[in-house]
Amino acid sequence: MQVKLTIFRYDPENDKKPHFDKFTVEAEPTDRVLDLLEYIKDYKDGTLAYRRSCAHGVCGSDAMRINGVNRLACKVLVQDVGTTLKVEPILGLPVQRDLIVDMEPFFDHYKSVIPYFVGSEEMPQKEQLQSPEDRERFDDTTKCILCGACTTSCPSFWANGNYVGPAAIVNAHRFIFDSRDQAVVERLKILNDQFGVYRCHTIFNCTDACPREIQVTQAVGEVKKAIATARLD
Amino acid sequence: MQTKKIPHPGWNLEYMMWMFTRLSGLAFFFLAIIGMAAALVMGARNQMDLGTLMRWTFFPNPNHVLDSNIPNVDIWANGFWQIMQMLVIFFGGTHGLNGLRVVIEDYTSRPAWQSITRLLFFVLWIFMILAAVYVILAS
Repeated sequence: MQVKLTIFRYDPENDKKPHFDKFTVEAEPTDRVLDLLEYIKDYKDGTLAYRRSCAHGVCGSDAMRINGVNRLACKVLVQDVGTTLKVEPILGLPVQRDLIVDMEPFFDHYKSVIPYFVGSEEMPQKEQLQSPEDRERFDDTTKCILCGACTTSCPSFWANGNYVGPAAIVNAHRFIFDSRDQAVVERLKILNDQFGVYRCHTIFNCTDACPREIQVTQAVGEVKKAIATARLD
Repeated sequence: MQTKKIPHPGWNLEYMMWMFTRLSGLAFFFLAIIGMAAALVMGARNQMDLGTLMRWTFFPNPNHVLDSNIPNVDIWANGFWQIMQMLVIFFGGTHGLNGLRVVIEDYTSRPAWQSITRLLFFVLWIFMILAAVYVILAS
């Protein structure tokens, strides 16, 4: 089958403003959108710029807007999105070139929520065991690959880049609900802020966008509840 | 994971208004139920049209049933219903104005603009409450 792609293009060194280029490529229904981009880059226009690394939905490099929805190009099959595609960079972050955006603001928000395990100050003398039930509590949010699809699908983030965004809250959730972690209150204090959880208005774009099917809005809601009740359920 | 108590992460305007929004939504629901129940006791079923019933339900002011067929409206013009009206205005008005503040603050990132917006909303809120109390007590 033939697939028609309209791709966002912007080269800051040569273009005054962004524009769209059109390409038509032969594809199988089971080809991924990333395969089409690779074909265009290899055979039609070598200047096309996009990020990709593992190409198997694990590294989170190739998040982009495909027909208006944030997706990983390496996980979306042509048969699922049709033969007419519009491919654009994710929204809310500055475009550096074509489909590549500056992820620094995203990672700054991520770093701001203490996204790592904080153990007890005393060096443990033996392994810190955790029950399967306690581990299960935050299992969903361990799946985040930091692709940015959720944060850049959020209108609150588009409107105001100061909002930490769903990805940062998901990664805070992963440690807030870890029974062994010692920095729970510090994280909740960071998120109990004007640009913390309160900019989330539960529109569920993030949950729809997540390529790992994390229940992002639910995780944000659980953090809100932990702040409101001063309890971890 | 068992329920675990943790120290409260702190009180601030966003936290308080987030809680208020939820509680006032509930309060508004119960106030409306009380208003509607009273209207039915008043005889709304046979002696009021739907519009009048709704006006009394969401703002139980005796003026709202003057043009109905309720035989004696005077007995409903008392302090209890004035307090009910003030509660409706307080919860509903504050809930709504805060919602507007949240929408505007979604789009303002400069601290100076936020301070100006908050001051403006505070003045508007005080004016709205005072005007409502005046209307309620004068009617």
